[in-house]
Amino acid sequence: MYQVEASKALLKPRLWARQSARLRVPRNVIMLGTVSLLTDISSEMVATVLPMYLIFSLGAGPLVFGAIDGTYRGSAALVQVLSGFSSDRWRRHKEVAGLGYGLSAFGKVALVAAGNTVGGVGAIVAVDRVGKGIRTAPRDALISLSSAKDRLATSFGVHRAMDSVGAMLGPLIAFGILFLAPARFDAVFVVSTLFAVLGLAVLILNVEGRPQRAPREGAPPRLRAGLSLLKDRSFAPLLLAAAGLSIASVSDALIYVGLQRTIDFDPAVFPLLYVMTAISFMALAIPVGQLADRVGKVPVLIGGQALLFLVYAVLLMSSVGYLALAVCLVALGGYFAATEGVLTALAGAVLPDDLQASGIGILITVVSLGRLVSSVAFGALWFAIGLQSAVLVFAVALAVALVAATPLLLRAQRAPANG
Amino acid sequence: MGSRSGRIMLGLIAGCLLVGAGYVVAAALGPDGTTTEARPQTAGAVLADAHLMVRAVDPANPRLNGRVYEIDGGKVQKRSGDLACERVYYAGGRGICMGVAPSGVDYRAQIFDSRLRPVDELALTGFPSRARVSADGRYGATTVFVSGDSYLQAPSAFSTRTVILDLRSGERVGQLEQFAVTKDGKPFDAVDFNFWGVTFVPGDSNRYYATLGTGGDHYLVEGDLPTRSMRVLRDGVECPSLSPDGSQIAYKSRLGDGEHWRLRVLDAATLADHAVAETRSIDDQVEWLDDRTLVYAYGDDLYTVPASGSGAPQLLVRDASSPVRLEAST
Repeated sequence: MYQVEASKALLKPRLWARQSARLRVPRNVIMLGTVSLLTDISSEMVATVLPMYLIFSLGAGPLVFGAIDGTYRGSAALVQVLSGFSSDRWRRHKEVAGLGYGLSAFGKVALVAAGNTVGGVGAIVAVDRVGKGIRTAPRDALISLSSAKDRLATSFGVHRAMDSVGAMLGPLIAFGILFLAPARFDAVFVVSTLFAVLGLAVLILNVEGRPQRAPREGAPPRLRAGLSLLKDRSFAPLLLAAAGLSIASVSDALIYVGLQRTIDFDPAVFPLLYVMTAISFMALAIPVGQLADRVGKVPVLIGGQALLFLVYAVLLMSSVGYLALAVCLVALGGYFAATEGVLTALAGAVLPDDLQASGIGILITVVSLGRLVSSVAFGALWFAIGLQSAVLVFAVALAVALVAATPLLLRAQRAPANG
Repeated sequence: MGSRSGRIMLGLIAGCLLVGAGYVVAAALGPDGTTTEARPQTAGAVLADAHLMVRAVDPANPRLNGRVYEIDGGKVQKRSGDLACERVYYAGGRGICMGVAPSGVDYRAQIFDSRLRPVDELALTGFPSRARVSADGRYGATTVFVSGDSYLQAPSAFSTRTVILDLRSGERVGQLEQFAVTKDGKPFDAVDFNFWGVTFVPGDSNRYYATLGTGGDHYLVEGDLPTRSMRVLRDGVECPSLSPDGSQIAYKSRLGDGEHWRLRVLDAATLADHAVAETRSIDDQVEWLDDRTLVYAYGDDLYTVPASGSGAPQLLVRDASSPVRLEAST
């Protein structure tokens, strides 16, 4: 091993040059990452203070907050399929994504101007979520179309890492403002609006709407072509595998609650679980993406899914120390880094160039429906047979899903696009 | 294209920085947004010999922390210095003031002494709901609403956390969600257990009653602190409150599945119960003014009603909540 290291050192200058060449990420991806970073700062600032604002300043009862929170989560559902197909059809990914970012920015302005009633806040939150639903598929299609096919996973890794930096900074900035100006939620909303406007400006001014792989010639795709993706030789197996894996994966929110019940730590440290997972994700997203471009997306995806077994194992332990907790959270971050972005990259590689946004929109919807099924099933199992038995059932389900998904994913990867 | 869009971006960033920083600085220099200086108003003849501690409510903004006032024989006196709360309770020389922390984004519970000086402080993990102190001032209980850990993430599923505090040491004794529960002599447990509304037994601060919510049921439980155990007594009782002599329990009884309640009183020994004359929906943990009279918040005001079921509700204090019975004037 020592010798290998030594000979590596001799090769270092050349290796380094090759490595940095491989690290190069298209400018458009960096710009889209910047848009997401700024927009996530803006959204997370609001999401962080919204419960407090509703209950404390508007005098809403906790139940009202619960209902609005549900709107927040639920209203993005099927919008993304529609926006994905429209942006392919019109060949206007940037403009459709811009509409989504614009709606969210408008929501922040509305919060400043008219967010002083509970109903108003509910409507604004719904608009914000619809905006998110609209922008996701065309934005991911732009990332994909801006990247060479053998560097897709790196591009998505870079974008997701930048995105999560924004999600981390948002709450910090919001708390910083409220520390300086106690209970002045309006100041948080104003600053959040400014970040949303900056994000939109970067999109308009710096993102190229027709990147290198964007289709320019031939007839725009018809709805039938979009629908036929569902039986496409390479994309259909990918969808099936994604659905199975997402159903067999316990959602992170439930994992945190499970950990809390298992570990019996001070509830005040609960937010730290999210932070540790996010840091692990941020650190791993780019290297894992590079790895996926080098050794193949499928093995990385399967390996990342398998990291969930570690998480399940910790949930099954009768007493969990801080070391096991740390391992669990790092594994959880690694699982996120190796799955969502890599899966989208695989879809980008498999999908024909003129149906990128449609396919990605379908994929996101399938995965989020799978997660919903998983959450409801896990909750019901937890209630019926207890946490540990429910985790065991999900561990078995995950093993089955992995065995079934691997050949499907390999088939998707092998089959030529548009075949 | 590069330089022109670059200049526009630079201009935008500079403009946003200026506007954002300016707004935050102006907000920081403005008045504190967490606390109101509102003042309760006594209302009429009912007051006679009532001796209470209350929290002031600003009707324009009822969720702001309110100052603590003492009402004695119709006189309203401000008692607190810096103390401002969303919910307050006091007994036996120790009090709990639950409210928004100065940051405006966290909640805290302050423990205070007989001169209303804070002696200890604990972080709360959610929105203040109920506070109680045992008659001897030894133990306290706080209930908060917590969002985001409902296991199904159902939109309206909110959970509560109830913590027992040792008010001398300032330590947590435990969280009710972690205590053992029995029902009909058998162990009773479910993931969706929520506890709220503790009331301590006068004369025996190791014992208490509380509400256990699970599924659609709201059980009255009787708890024992040293053994960290509780047993289910009966269904349909929320926010129990023991009378000063310990013989009766006032509580709110849910109508249907909604957020509507009626006040009722039950006999602690026989568990037989009856309604009181208040027919509006009351969402409060009732306080006893004496062994015959209940006091509670409705809207932004405090009302009394006889515990016997006779009579009618009467307005006691305007712009106040969180009523606390105080012993005879000192």
